[in-house]
Amino acid sequence: MRQYNSMRRLTSLLFLAGLGLLLAAILQRLNFGQPPMIVGDAINAAAPAQVGAANLVTSVVLAYRGFDTLLELTILFTAATAAGLALGREPGDRLADPEAGPIVRAGADLFFPLLLVVGLYIIFHGHLTPGGGFQGGVILAAAFFMPQLARPASRLEHRMTTLIEGLAGATFILIGLLALFEGEAFLTPLLGVGTLGTLLSAGTLPMLYLAVGLKVGAELAGLLASLAEMGAEE
Amino acid sequence: MNNLILLVVLPLITAFLLPVIDRFSTLAARWSGPLVLLITTFIGASAWLQLGTGAVSLELGGFRPPLGIVLYVDQLALLFAIAVSFGTLLLWPYGNRGGLRQQTLTLLLAGSGSGLALSGDLFNIYVFYELVAVVSYGLAVSLRTPAAFAAAIRYLIISGFGAALSLAGIALIYDATGTLNLAQLAQLAPEKLNDLQGLSAFVLLLIGIGVKAELFPVNTWVPEIYATAPKRVSALLAGLVSKLAVVVILRLLVLIFPQPEAHTLLLVLGILGVLTGELAAWRARDLPRVLAYSSIGQLGIVFIAFSVPGEAGVFAGLAMALHHLLIKPALFLLAERWDGSLAGLTGAAKASPLGAALFVLFSLSLLGIPPLPGFWAKLLVLTSLAQMGAALYYTGAVVIMLGMVLEANYLFRIIARMYQKAPSTGTPPGHGRLDLAISSMLGAGLIAAVFLLAPLADRLQGIAAQTVDVNQYIEAVNPVPTRNPI
Repeated sequence: MRQYNSMRRLTSLLFLAGLGLLLAAILQRLNFGQPPMIVGDAINAAAPAQVGAANLVTSVVLAYRGFDTLLELTILFTAATAAGLALGREPGDRLADPEAGPIVRAGADLFFPLLLVVGLYIIFHGHLTPGGGFQGGVILAAAFFMPQLARPASRLEHRMTTLIEGLAGATFILIGLLALFEGEAFLTPLLGVGTLGTLLSAGTLPMLYLAVGLKVGAELAGLLASLAEMGAEE
Repeated sequence: MNNLILLVVLPLITAFLLPVIDRFSTLAARWSGPLVLLITTFIGASAWLQLGTGAVSLELGGFRPPLGIVLYVDQLALLFAIAVSFGTLLLWPYGNRGGLRQQTLTLLLAGSGSGLALSGDLFNIYVFYELVAVVSYGLAVSLRTPAAFAAAIRYLIISGFGAALSLAGIALIYDATGTLNLAQLAQLAPEKLNDLQGLSAFVLLLIGIGVKAELFPVNTWVPEIYATAPKRVSALLAGLVSKLAVVVILRLLVLIFPQPEAHTLLLVLGILGVLTGELAAWRARDLPRVLAYSSIGQLGIVFIAFSVPGEAGVFAGLAMALHHLLIKPALFLLAERWDGSLAGLTGAAKASPLGAALFVLFSLSLLGIPPLPGFWAKLLVLTSLAQMGAALYYTGAVVIMLGMVLEANYLFRIIARMYQKAPSTGTPPGHGRLDLAISSMLGAGLIAAVFLLAPLADRLQGIAAQTVDVNQYIEAVNPVPTRNPI
């Protein structure tokens, strides 16, 4: 058995060495710095007029490749569901950890509104400045998770997070389906492009980002909370 | 045609809303999944009647390719998209043993599987592929036994490794061409990907996507997952998911990598797959593992068939793949109560006569006994190999026949055991009514295929001809000429 194991290690090592050599050889041949920018250049030129988002990254993420973003959201949702399935039962009653000290508690109370504002700001300005639904959503999740660290006895409302999560995801798809009812293709941005650089521009893109932000926030907050509750039970 | 996006989106939105629906009515949550799958099957079937032999592309977001993502709908894509909807409907966890989460994951599998068949964009295919992977990790552990967790961890590592490799392959392609649209890649490939970089991209993509297609070096997760997951999940993974990966590989091969080296590589890996799969199945000691290893062998034959360039190879490979798509889920359903060691199957025919009879039927077709469809599929593969007239292709044919000898040995050994007199210690259990009903249905389909062989073969040949028609693909998608920004 031991011989078999060392054999296996040796073959894995050989395999890895071969793969490394292959990748190194390929890297040698690539000419970095002059990629053929067929799609990239075309999008750079067309996006401001076509989509109306001052943040070009957002026009790629939500307009040109919005379908990919929907799938990324779904992957996150799937991972949370699969983790729930693997962890098993809904977290039950437990002995709570003791409350944190006054500094952490006061800090958590102070930070909660600040984080909420920053998160929402980043979500709402996703089509104008760097940031957007994913980044803002993570900040929202942190905002809701921090009070839990300060006061482990106070439970995050799972009911609420699943509700927000499901409805936000459905909203993203419904906005896409609205275009289908209008006779356009799925996920076509509606409502016109507006004035480039203003808060109310880029059509339905800010709404999509709001849905992304709420979904990501609710998902991560829910996942963190159930992991914390699991840990406390052990 | 525009509403074909619903095949992907309806299951996704239902999956998102399932926990919310469950708050209001458990009954509604329980039946909304099957209902949605019924609707998507219907949408797919009516699109099939409209499509004929044509092909259309759907521009998502209303952006002209290559800027936006397109779905490409031809007979091959639509056939597999319908198979996903209908297959998940058949293999739905009706007993509700896994609860709400398993239903959610099954719906997500239906949506992402249809998307994988329909997508016409390389990166979009990657995202769908990842989604299918994450869904299958969850489904694989739904019984939550320690063995299932161990198997799933191994699966997760191999699959993650494969995903990283295929992402590297996509990066190489993007570096060489600057686009991700499959039609535009098909236009650019002869000029820009017909070199070492293109070939290494193919190797990386093949290994990466091959993880799900049970390709030879990256299939070590197969037996443990199929043995430890609920048999309905194994049926979904072995029947549907592996075929979707096969379809993706076929598309890439036809559109982007028609080089002879790519075909040779596929042939060699296919041969090794048949050899290792059938030998391992011959040595396996319980029914789920026998079925898992035999599935590796069968998919090896599919890859050998695809290594024959042109319409003949695609025709033969698709026949093998569809045949396996039909019978492997049925066999896994029969194995639901028949896991544990093979010795425990002694006298099983007495306890479940219909189940044993179906097992014999499917085994004969798997093996390739005329006049069952499995025979014709294997015959197609062998004749297309013989027509190539090269030593390596002859080797492929010989290996396939060797595999049939092994298959005959282990399948007849199991059947003989089933029809022996039961030991005094008690007979093995009979089958659940639903499992038996679904596998009878699939068996009836198999027998119907015997009588409808000529029209089915004609239709399949038409599909193969359309699949290898690169020009039709490019014209249907019609990517905007490069360089000049619109």
